[in-house]
Amino acid sequence: MTDCGCEKAKAELEEYLHNELRKNDAADIREHLASCPDCSSEHLVGRTLTEVMQRACKETAPEDLRDQVLLKLRSLQASH
Amino acid sequence: MSMLLERPLSVGNGLESGVMTSDTPANSGDLSSSDTERTTLSPTKAELREQTRGLFEEQALPFLDQLYAAAMRMTRNPSDAQDLVQETFVKAFAAFAQYEQGTNLKAWLYRILTNTFINAYRKKQREPYQGTIDELEDWQLGGAESTTATSGRSAEAEAIDHLPDSAVKNALQSIPEDFRLAVYFADVEGFSYQEIAEIMKTPIGTVMSRLHRGRRLLRELLAGYAAERGLGTGQDQKTSRSTEK
Repeated sequence: MTDCGCEKAKAELEEYLHNELRKNDAADIREHLASCPDCSSEHLVGRTLTEVMQRACKETAPEDLRDQVLLKLRSLQASH
Repeated sequence: MSMLLERPLSVGNGLESGVMTSDTPANSGDLSSSDTERTTLSPTKAELREQTRGLFEEQALPFLDQLYAAAMRMTRNPSDAQDLVQETFVKAFAAFAQYEQGTNLKAWLYRILTNTFINAYRKKQREPYQGTIDELEDWQLGGAESTTATSGRSAEAEAIDHLPDSAVKNALQSIPEDFRLAVYFADVEGFSYQEIAEIMKTPIGTVMSRLHRGRRLLRELLAGYAAERGLGTGQDQKTSRSTEK
Protein backbone atom coordinates (compact mmCIF):
# COMPACT_ATOMS: atom_id res chain seq x y z
CA MET A 1 0.00 0.00 0.00
CA THR A 2 1.50 3.29 -1.07
CA ASP A 3 -1.29 5.41 0.33
CA CYS A 4 -0.27 9.06 0.22
CA GLY A 5 -2.29 10.03 3.25
CA CYS A 6 -4.91 12.62 3.98
CA GLU A 7 -2.57 15.57 4.12
CA LYS A 8 -1.33 15.23 0.57
CA ALA A 9 -4.77 14.27 -0.71
CA LYS A 10 -6.48 17.28 0.86
CA ALA A 11 -3.79 19.60 -0.42
CA GLU A 12 -4.10 18.33 -3.98
CA LEU A 13 -7.78 17.52 -4.29
CA GLU A 14 -8.54 20.60 -6.31
CA GLU A 15 -5.72 19.97 -8.78
CA TYR A 16 -6.86 16.38 -8.95
CA LEU A 17 -10.41 17.48 -9.70
CA HIS A 18 -9.17 19.74 -12.49
CA ASN A 19 -6.92 17.09 -14.01
CA GLU A 20 -3.82 19.11 -13.28
CA LEU A 21 -1.80 16.40 -11.55
CA ARG A 22 0.80 14.23 -13.15
CA LYS A 23 -0.24 10.66 -13.76
CA ASN A 24 1.55 9.22 -10.74
CA ASP A 25 0.31 11.86 -8.35
CA ALA A 26 -3.23 11.46 -9.63
CA ALA A 27 -2.98 7.71 -9.12
CA ASP A 28 -1.82 8.26 -5.53
CA ILE A 29 -4.81 10.47 -4.83
CA ARG A 30 -7.20 8.07 -6.51
CA GLU A 31 -5.87 5.25 -4.41
CA HIS A 32 -6.19 7.25 -1.23
CA LEU A 33 -9.74 8.35 -2.05
CA ALA A 34 -10.78 4.75 -2.53
CA SER A 35 -9.86 3.89 1.02
CA CYS A 36 -10.57 7.12 2.89
CA PRO A 37 -14.22 8.05 3.44
CA ASP A 38 -13.21 11.40 4.90
CA CYS A 39 -11.26 12.57 1.85
CA SER A 40 -13.67 11.04 -0.61
CA SER A 41 -16.59 12.92 0.91
CA GLU A 42 -14.55 16.11 0.64
CA HIS A 43 -13.90 15.24 -2.99
CA LEU A 44 -17.61 14.60 -3.51
CA VAL A 45 -18.41 18.15 -2.38
CA GLY A 46 -15.79 19.48 -4.78
CA ARG A 47 -17.12 17.48 -7.69
CA THR A 48 -20.66 18.51 -6.88
CA LEU A 49 -19.63 22.17 -6.94
CA THR A 50 -18.23 21.72 -10.44
CA GLU A 51 -21.27 19.82 -11.64
CA VAL A 52 -23.86 22.28 -10.37
CA MET A 53 -21.92 25.14 -11.99
CA GLN A 54 -21.80 23.35 -15.32
CA ARG A 55 -25.49 22.69 -15.08
CA ALA A 56 -26.45 26.20 -14.03
CA CYS A 57 -24.32 28.07 -16.54
CA LYS A 58 -25.71 26.56 -19.73
CA GLU A 59 -27.01 29.29 -21.99
CA THR A 60 -28.28 29.42 -25.50
CA ALA A 61 -27.56 32.64 -27.31
CA PRO A 62 -30.65 34.48 -28.52
CA GLU A 63 -31.49 33.52 -32.10
CA ASP A 64 -31.01 37.05 -33.41
CA LEU A 65 -27.50 37.28 -31.95
CA ARG A 66 -26.28 34.72 -34.47
CA ASP A 67 -27.96 36.70 -37.25
CA GLN A 68 -26.47 39.96 -36.03
CA VAL A 69 -22.99 38.47 -35.90
CA LEU A 70 -23.34 37.03 -39.41
CA LEU A 71 -24.59 40.35 -40.76
CA LYS A 72 -21.73 42.18 -39.12
CA LEU A 73 -19.13 39.81 -40.55
CA ARG A 74 -20.63 40.15 -44.01
CA SER A 75 -20.57 43.92 -43.84
CA LEU A 76 -16.96 43.82 -42.59
CA GLN A 77 -15.98 41.55 -45.43
CA ALA A 78 -17.60 43.89 -47.93
CA SER A 79 -15.90 46.96 -46.56
CA HIS A 80 -12.34 45.64 -46.78
CA MET B 1 -6.57 43.34 -43.53
CA SER B 2 -4.85 43.04 -46.90
CA MET B 3 -2.49 40.41 -45.54
CA LEU B 4 -5.38 38.33 -44.49
CA LEU B 5 -6.89 38.38 -47.93
CA GLU B 6 -3.76 37.17 -49.64
CA ARG B 7 -3.31 34.28 -47.32
CA PRO B 8 -3.73 30.90 -49.00
CA LEU B 9 -6.68 29.51 -47.19
CA SER B 10 -6.11 25.87 -47.81
CA VAL B 11 -2.86 25.85 -45.88
CA GLY B 12 -3.29 24.71 -42.33
CA ASN B 13 -0.33 26.25 -40.58
CA GLY B 14 0.20 29.82 -39.49
CA LEU B 15 1.06 32.28 -42.19
CA GLU B 16 1.01 35.44 -40.23
CA SER B 17 3.23 37.34 -42.58
CA GLY B 18 1.27 36.40 -45.67
CA VAL B 19 4.29 34.66 -47.14
CA MET B 20 3.38 32.22 -49.86
CA THR B 21 4.20 28.61 -49.33
CA SER B 22 5.59 26.23 -51.87
CA ASP B 23 2.26 24.70 -52.67
CA THR B 24 0.81 28.06 -53.59
CA PRO B 25 0.55 28.52 -57.34
CA ALA B 26 3.39 30.75 -58.48
CA ASN B 27 1.10 33.15 -60.25
CA SER B 28 -0.89 33.89 -57.15
CA GLY B 29 1.73 36.47 -56.28
CA ASP B 30 0.12 38.65 -58.91
CA LEU B 31 -3.10 38.76 -57.05
CA SER B 32 -2.49 42.04 -55.40
CA SER B 33 -1.25 43.82 -58.49
CA SER B 34 -4.24 43.28 -60.69
CA ASP B 35 -7.24 41.08 -60.60
CA THR B 36 -7.49 41.13 -64.37
CA GLU B 37 -4.18 39.31 -64.82
CA ARG B 38 -5.26 36.34 -62.85
CA THR B 39 -5.56 32.94 -64.39
CA THR B 40 -8.70 30.95 -63.99
CA LEU B 41 -7.03 28.96 -61.22
CA SER B 42 -6.35 31.75 -58.77
CA PRO B 43 -9.36 33.15 -56.99
CA THR B 44 -10.25 36.82 -57.05
CA LYS B 45 -9.79 38.98 -54.00
CA ALA B 46 -13.49 38.92 -53.46
CA GLU B 47 -13.48 35.16 -53.58
CA LEU B 48 -10.64 35.01 -51.08
CA ARG B 49 -12.48 37.32 -48.75
CA GLU B 50 -15.51 35.16 -49.11
CA GLN B 51 -13.42 32.09 -48.29
CA THR B 52 -11.85 33.72 -45.24
CA ARG B 53 -15.20 34.71 -43.88
CA GLY B 54 -16.55 31.26 -44.63
CA LEU B 55 -13.67 29.64 -42.78
CA PHE B 56 -14.04 31.98 -39.85
CA GLU B 57 -17.76 31.37 -39.61
CA GLU B 58 -17.31 27.66 -39.88
CA GLN B 59 -14.68 27.53 -37.15
CA ALA B 60 -15.63 30.29 -34.75
CA LEU B 61 -19.41 30.45 -34.88
CA PRO B 62 -19.94 27.07 -33.18
CA PHE B 63 -18.58 28.76 -30.03
CA LEU B 64 -21.37 31.34 -30.03
CA ASP B 65 -23.47 29.77 -27.28
CA GLN B 66 -20.46 29.09 -25.09
CA LEU B 67 -19.10 32.60 -25.53
CA TYR B 68 -22.53 34.01 -24.79
CA ALA B 69 -22.77 31.96 -21.61
CA ALA B 70 -19.36 33.24 -20.51
CA ALA B 71 -20.35 36.79 -21.44
CA MET B 72 -23.48 36.42 -19.32
CA ARG B 73 -21.37 35.52 -16.30
CA MET B 74 -19.06 38.42 -17.03
CA THR B 75 -21.52 41.21 -17.72
CA ARG B 76 -24.41 39.79 -15.71
CA ASN B 77 -27.07 40.91 -18.17
CA PRO B 78 -28.26 39.70 -21.58
CA SER B 79 -27.99 43.01 -23.39
CA ASP B 80 -24.36 43.66 -22.43
CA ALA B 81 -23.58 39.99 -23.02
CA GLN B 82 -24.85 40.22 -26.60
CA ASP B 83 -22.85 43.37 -27.26
CA LEU B 84 -19.76 41.76 -25.80
CA VAL B 85 -20.12 38.63 -27.93
CA GLN B 86 -20.66 40.68 -31.06
CA GLU B 87 -17.61 42.78 -30.37
CA THR B 88 -15.60 39.65 -29.69
CA PHE B 89 -16.51 38.17 -33.07
CA VAL B 90 -15.72 41.41 -34.87
CA LYS B 91 -12.30 41.60 -33.23
CA ALA B 92 -11.60 37.93 -33.77
CA PHE B 93 -12.49 38.22 -37.44
CA ALA B 94 -10.25 41.24 -37.85
CA ALA B 95 -7.39 39.35 -36.19
CA PHE B 96 -8.08 36.01 -37.81
CA ALA B 97 -4.91 36.26 -39.89
CA GLN B 98 -2.93 36.09 -36.66
CA TYR B 99 -4.71 33.00 -35.49
CA GLU B 100 -2.54 29.98 -36.16
CA GLN B 101 -4.64 27.24 -37.70
CA GLY B 102 -4.49 24.06 -35.71
CA THR B 103 -3.89 25.78 -32.38
CA ASN B 104 -6.52 26.17 -29.70
CA LEU B 105 -9.21 28.35 -31.26
CA LYS B 106 -11.45 28.20 -28.23
CA ALA B 107 -8.75 29.58 -25.92
CA TRP B 108 -7.92 32.21 -28.54
CA LEU B 109 -11.54 33.36 -28.68
CA TYR B 110 -11.82 33.42 -24.89
CA ARG B 111 -8.70 35.54 -24.70
CA ILE B 112 -10.31 38.09 -27.00
CA LEU B 113 -13.57 37.88 -25.08
CA THR B 114 -11.85 38.43 -21.75
CA ASN B 115 -9.72 41.29 -23.05
CA THR B 116 -12.71 42.99 -24.56
CA PHE B 117 -14.65 42.58 -21.37
CA ILE B 118 -11.89 43.94 -19.20
CA ASN B 119 -11.24 46.92 -21.45
CA ALA B 120 -14.79 47.89 -22.27
CA TYR B 121 -17.20 46.59 -19.68
CA ARG B 122 -15.35 46.22 -16.47
CA LYS B 123 -14.83 49.96 -16.27
CA LYS B 124 -18.57 50.50 -16.27
CA GLN B 125 -19.19 48.15 -13.42
CA ARG B 126 -18.34 48.94 -9.88
CA GLU B 127 -16.47 46.13 -8.31
CA PRO B 128 -15.74 46.76 -4.66
CA TYR B 129 -12.64 44.60 -4.48
CA GLN B 130 -11.19 45.32 -7.89
CA GLY B 131 -7.44 45.25 -8.05
CA THR B 132 -6.88 44.21 -4.49
CA ILE B 133 -8.72 40.95 -4.27
CA ASP B 134 -5.64 38.78 -4.66
CA GLU B 135 -4.05 40.51 -1.72
CA LEU B 136 -6.83 39.85 0.74
CA GLU B 137 -5.91 37.44 3.46
CA ASP B 138 -7.81 34.21 3.72
CA TRP B 139 -9.41 35.19 6.99
CA GLN B 140 -10.88 38.29 5.35
CA LEU B 141 -12.63 36.13 2.83
CA GLY B 142 -14.07 33.82 5.41
CA GLY B 143 -13.00 30.25 5.82
CA ALA B 144 -14.86 27.20 4.67
CA GLU B 145 -12.12 24.71 5.29
CA SER B 146 -14.28 21.79 6.04
CA THR B 147 -14.09 20.45 9.52
CA THR B 148 -17.42 18.69 9.27
CA ALA B 149 -17.70 14.97 9.61
CA THR B 150 -17.94 12.67 6.63
CA SER B 151 -21.70 12.25 6.93
CA GLY B 152 -22.10 16.03 7.14
CA ARG B 153 -20.14 16.46 3.94
CA SER B 154 -22.17 13.89 2.06
CA ALA B 155 -25.28 15.76 3.14
CA GLU B 156 -23.65 19.02 2.09
CA ALA B 157 -22.94 17.64 -1.39
CA GLU B 158 -26.48 16.42 -1.72
CA ALA B 159 -27.95 19.72 -0.56
CA ILE B 160 -25.79 21.68 -3.01
CA ASP B 161 -26.77 19.28 -5.76
CA HIS B 162 -30.44 20.03 -5.12
CA LEU B 163 -30.12 23.79 -5.36
CA PRO B 164 -31.87 25.45 -8.29
CA ASP B 165 -29.71 26.87 -11.08
CA SER B 166 -30.70 30.39 -10.08
CA ALA B 167 -29.10 29.96 -6.66
CA VAL B 168 -25.89 28.71 -8.23
CA LYS B 169 -25.80 31.64 -10.65
CA ASN B 170 -26.49 34.07 -7.81
CA ALA B 171 -23.63 32.66 -5.84
CA LEU B 172 -21.29 32.95 -8.83
CA GLN B 173 -22.40 36.53 -9.45
CA SER B 174 -21.67 37.51 -5.91
CA ILE B 175 -18.05 36.43 -5.67
CA PRO B 176 -15.30 38.81 -6.80
CA GLU B 177 -14.87 38.97 -10.53
CA ASP B 178 -11.34 37.57 -10.82
CA PHE B 179 -12.39 34.58 -8.75
CA ARG B 180 -15.55 34.16 -10.75
CA LEU B 181 -13.72 34.15 -14.08
CA ALA B 182 -11.07 31.69 -12.91
CA VAL B 183 -13.71 29.33 -11.52
CA TYR B 184 -15.84 29.66 -14.63
CA PHE B 185 -12.95 28.96 -16.96
CA ALA B 186 -11.78 25.92 -14.99
CA ASP B 187 -15.01 24.33 -13.86
CA VAL B 188 -17.48 25.21 -16.57
CA GLU B 189 -15.22 25.51 -19.61
CA GLY B 190 -12.65 22.95 -18.56
CA PHE B 191 -9.65 25.09 -19.47
CA SER B 192 -6.31 24.00 -18.05
CA TYR B 193 -4.56 26.20 -15.50
CA GLN B 194 -2.04 27.14 -18.16
CA GLU B 195 -4.77 28.21 -20.56
CA ILE B 196 -6.48 30.24 -17.84
CA ALA B 197 -3.18 31.92 -17.01
CA GLU B 198 -2.89 32.96 -20.65
CA ILE B 199 -6.49 34.07 -20.94
CA MET B 200 -6.34 36.12 -17.73
CA LYS B 201 -2.71 37.15 -18.22
CA THR B 202 -1.66 36.11 -14.74
CA PRO B 203 0.87 33.64 -13.36
CA ILE B 204 -0.36 30.11 -12.77
CA GLY B 205 0.05 30.56 -9.02
CA THR B 206 -2.46 33.40 -9.11
CA VAL B 207 -4.87 31.25 -11.10
CA MET B 208 -4.60 28.50 -8.50
CA SER B 209 -5.14 30.88 -5.64
CA ARG B 210 -8.16 32.50 -7.33
CA LEU B 211 -9.64 29.09 -8.03
CA HIS B 212 -9.10 27.88 -4.53
CA ARG B 213 -10.56 30.97 -2.91
CA GLY B 214 -13.36 31.31 -5.42
CA ARG B 215 -14.47 27.74 -4.96
CA ARG B 216 -14.30 28.07 -1.22
CA LEU B 217 -16.49 31.17 -1.25
CA LEU B 218 -18.95 29.47 -3.56
CA ARG B 219 -19.14 26.42 -1.39
CA GLU B 220 -19.85 28.53 1.63
CA LEU B 221 -22.52 30.55 -0.16
CA LEU B 222 -24.22 27.47 -1.57
CA ALA B 223 -24.20 25.70 1.76
CA GLY B 224 -25.77 28.85 3.18
CA TYR B 225 -28.49 28.91 0.51
CA ALA B 226 -29.17 25.26 1.11
CA ALA B 227 -29.58 25.85 4.83
CA GLU B 228 -31.93 28.79 4.17
CA ARG B 229 -34.05 26.57 1.97
CA GLY B 230 -34.19 23.95 4.64
CA LEU B 231 -32.10 21.52 2.65
CA GLY B 232 -30.34 19.96 5.57
CA THR B 233 -26.58 20.08 5.33
CA GLY B 234 -25.93 18.91 8.85
CA GLN B 235 -23.51 21.77 9.36
CA ASP B 236 -25.42 24.57 11.06
CA GLN B 237 -22.32 25.50 12.96
CA LYS B 238 -20.52 26.74 9.87
CA THR B 239 -23.20 28.51 7.86
CA SER B 240 -23.54 31.57 10.04
CA ARG B 241 -20.97 33.55 8.08
CA SER B 242 -22.42 32.91 4.67
CA THR B 243 -26.00 33.76 5.58
CA GLU B 244 -25.18 37.26 6.69
CA LYS B 245 -26.12 39.78 4.05
